[in-house]
Amino acid sequence: MSTTTADIFSRLARDYADETPLRLKVIDTYMVFCVAVGLAQFAYCLLVGTFPYNAFLAGFGSAVACFVFAANLRIKTNAKNASQFTGTAESAFAEFVFCHITLHFIVANFLG
Amino acid sequence: MRFLTTVAVASLAFGGAWLGVVEAKSVSGDRVLVLVPKVEAAKLYSQFLDSLTGRGFDISVRAATNTSVALQVDGVRTYDHAVVLSPESKKLGANLSVRDFVSFVDDGGNLVLTASSELSELGRKLAARFGVEYERRGTAVIDHVAHLRAINDTSDHTLVAAGPPKTAAPVLSKQFAHPQSNPVYFKGIAHKYEPSNPMLISVLTGSRTTYSAPIGSDANEGAISLSGKALGLVSVFQTRNNARVAFSGSAALFSDALLSQEGGANKQFTTDISQWVLQEKAVLRETAHRHYLASTGERPEHYRISNEIVYEIDLSVYHDDAWHPYNSKDVQFEAIMLDPYIRATLNSTESTDPKTTATYHGDIKLPDRYGTFTFRVNYKRTGYSNVDVKDTVGIWPLRHDEYPRFLSAAYPYYISSLVMAVGFLALCAAWMWSAEPKTKRTTKQKSN
Repeated sequence: MSTTTADIFSRLARDYADETPLRLKVIDTYMVFCVAVGLAQFAYCLLVGTFPYNAFLAGFGSAVACFVFAANLRIKTNAKNASQFTGTAESAFAEFVFCHITLHFIVANFLG
Repeated sequence: MRFLTTVAVASLAFGGAWLGVVEAKSVSGDRVLVLVPKVEAAKLYSQFLDSLTGRGFDISVRAATNTSVALQVDGVRTYDHAVVLSPESKKLGANLSVRDFVSFVDDGGNLVLTASSELSELGRKLAARFGVEYERRGTAVIDHVAHLRAINDTSDHTLVAAGPPKTAAPVLSKQFAHPQSNPVYFKGIAHKYEPSNPMLISVLTGSRTTYSAPIGSDANEGAISLSGKALGLVSVFQTRNNARVAFSGSAALFSDALLSQEGGANKQFTTDISQWVLQEKAVLRETAHRHYLASTGERPEHYRISNEIVYEIDLSVYHDDAWHPYNSKDVQFEAIMLDPYIRATLNSTESTDPKTTATYHGDIKLPDRYGTFTFRVNYKRTGYSNVDVKDTVGIWPLRHDEYPRFLSAAYPYYISSLVMAVGFLALCAAWMWSAEPKTKRTTKQKSN
């Protein structure tokens, strides 16, 4: 019971590295990347104002939507959730790709 | 033959000179009707009438009893100006009514109306139409301090010496602005005037010791109805159509006796008043105005929201026989759609015709609002004729393909959406080329 906070975090990191499949790690990296891009845009918007508002919405929305799609893909392809989903990992990935292509069309139109 | 040509040339030259003299100085015409009680009475005003003739007016002196005198025939003015020096006549000309005079003014005719202590009902009603309320019949303006001290010490206290108030500036010449200027001698009836009326300008008022009371009464307080600066002696009125009317409580003010009075300024005063009323001075006009896009210099059929435009207007003022540039710092432009969206002061700029016009210039940014706007310069200043210039202009929104694109401010957004697309491709690649753990995981799954 004498675990310190540092112990908890180091164990968490070790377990994550050991037990998480490589593909989920890739998705996690991508999600962190989405959050970083979204935050950067939000900070820029706070700094210079909302003037090309449509461009801000497109850029920021693209980051948020990518994050959401990645989260969905992660849930569907996580082996622990296999009992709740009928489709294979490949079909989930195909859906993910389709949603992304649609999203980037919309974003490109909305950028102005 | 040679003799004949000489005669022809001489007569031409003479004719030209003659035309030059007679050419009216007034902007609105040179036909003046002068109504006097009897034709012989015109002699009393000979100096004033001669000055009108000398200024190029075509004067018709008629007796007030002459029933053939009409101001308008079939709705067309027969005179450009009318001077009524017959305040006591109950009937004027062809039984002219208040309505005839008002209709004459509505049609652009100018009037000089004089009064006296025995002012007729007609003159009283006519003045009331213009917000000038004369005192009761039988009253006179009295001043025991400021009056004409006649020879032999028989000074007449009803012959008061008065000065113009400051508001009269554009109507009178500059010498009256001087506090020590000679007084104007006045003998007649007082009137009430409304100082807040923007169309009525008081040009001669009583001083602190002036009052109005029935003639012959001892001036106890009950008898005095009007006194001091509130007591109007001469007021002028300018209508919305720039016709001008003068109300003088004294016909004697224009008489030879007072015009030639030493130490008095009646001559200059009557000249100033008549010049103003007969449209010889302080006449303002717009000669041209234009508006166009600042970028191209062209005037489009309609503007777009937030366009940068240039508005220019040329203004001239008439005085001393000619049009001169009108210089002022308070000419304003308005862009109105129910309310003024823009009200900007125009700056004086280089004129194309600096001898006669002044050009006012404004760099205007149109509002970020579409609709039908009115571009207006509504210039109304005391003593000057009104200038009201209006243009109806459509302001349209941008078309779908006219919005600005590739803004530098939006570059971070463009880049980040591009980065997101690249990130997606990278994820796809990583997903597809990371196949080995899949088998590991499925075996693991099965073993569970």
